[in-house]
Amino acid sequence: MKIRNTRDGWGAGAQLLHWLIAAGIATAMLLGWIMVNLPNSATKFELYALHKSLGITILALVLLRIVWRWINMVPDMPGTLSPREQKLAGAGHMALYALMLLMPLSGYVLNSAANFPLNVFGLVQIPNLTPESETLAEVASVMHLTFFWVLAAVLVAHIGAALRHHFVLHDDVLRRMLPVRRR
Amino acid sequence: MFRSTSSSAGRFFLGLGLGVIASALPMLASSAATGWEIVHDESRLGFEATQQGGRFEGRFEDFRADMRFSADDLAMSRFDVTVATGSINTGSSQRDSNLPDAEWFDTDAFPEAYYVTREIRATTDGYEAVGDLTIRDNTHEVVLPFTWQTEGDRAEMNGAVTIDRVRFGVGQGEWRDPSVAGHEVKVVVDLTLER
Ligand code: HEM
Repeated sequence: MKIRNTRDGWGAGAQLLHWLIAAGIATAMLLGWIMVNLPNSATKFELYALHKSLGITILALVLLRIVWRWINMVPDMPGTLSPREQKLAGAGHMALYALMLLMPLSGYVLNSAANFPLNVFGLVQIPNLTPESETLAEVASVMHLTFFWVLAAVLVAHIGAALRHHFVLHDDVLRRMLPVRRR
Repeated sequence: MFRSTSSSAGRFFLGLGLGVIASALPMLASSAATGWEIVHDESRLGFEATQQGGRFEGRFEDFRADMRFSADDLAMSRFDVTVATGSINTGSSQRDSNLPDAEWFDTDAFPEAYYVTREIRATTDGYEAVGDLTIRDNTHEVVLPFTWQTEGDRAEMNGAVTIDRVRFGVGQGEWRDPSVAGHEVKVVVDLTLER
């Protein structure tokens, strides 16, 4: 498999970024959900720190991913898709890129507006994006939760579509994102 | 009246008298160590701490001190500092809303913290104050290294010392864990004083 994309498939770079970010986002969503529902405890605060560090790492990976997509060719959508399906898939992917950015960004703003320090995995402290503001922190908190629900809905559609292609339509759509031989 | 002592002898004795008083003044002052007033607009009683591994800064807006210091009379020099614990400000309303609570400073029960020196001594790079720090009725000895520069009637004092918040009972229960807030807190004193 090539590092870069080709006309009919995703290269190793794009696949690695896709699955790293997928695993990261799944973990961040789970962590976020668990931590906000825990009573105050050392574990809760450790999960917060982990969640924020992971979220910032995802943000960096997503930016890298967007740049990588920009400097690579984007494989054509399989011809088995109708124009309407191609449009729908394209819109869904755009929504995913937007949410992959908005999800961590709203978290970063939320943390910044609370004027909490943010040390990524105990390795490097990154600066806050905004001045301290209770109102902004509240708005960002609502956005963060809203994006979570929207992202969850789009992900259900995204994963559902991938599985349908693989198990119902028996085409190459899922395989194109896996390091396996094509049929 | 002075104007009537127009003779040269009169001026001579007046001059001599003032000269004697002037040369005696520093001796008088040093024997009690000079008293200094804090210029609050140019002074800061701050600290640096960590929250979830990230550094942040804060300060106490309201503190007062009886400061006596003379480099040549350290034996009579002494700091007696009182801090209003409720005046803590870390620039985060969320954080600051927790700090007066019973688990942190418990400002209702302990509105003030104190630092009273027992000894001030010279070191190779300046001075150090040996004193008792009392927070929440927990008293421990804290040695504060500092520098002191006097210029005319003004002075600058700069010092810093790291203390363990847990020894003073600040941040109890679930807040005791160092992953929530580090145990080490660096207290930073930057004062401008006038006499
Ligand atoms: C892809 C990245 C991220 C995902 C999927 C994600 C997901 C979540 C989820 C599901 C919650 C629980 C929402 C709730 O019930 O209120 C949450 C909460 C939270 N997240 Fe994130 N998050 C991400 C990135 C970040 C980042 C980068 C930060 C901070 C720098 C952050 C800070 C927070 C905070 C402080 C909360 C608590 C919410 C509140 O207090 O209102 N998140 N996150």
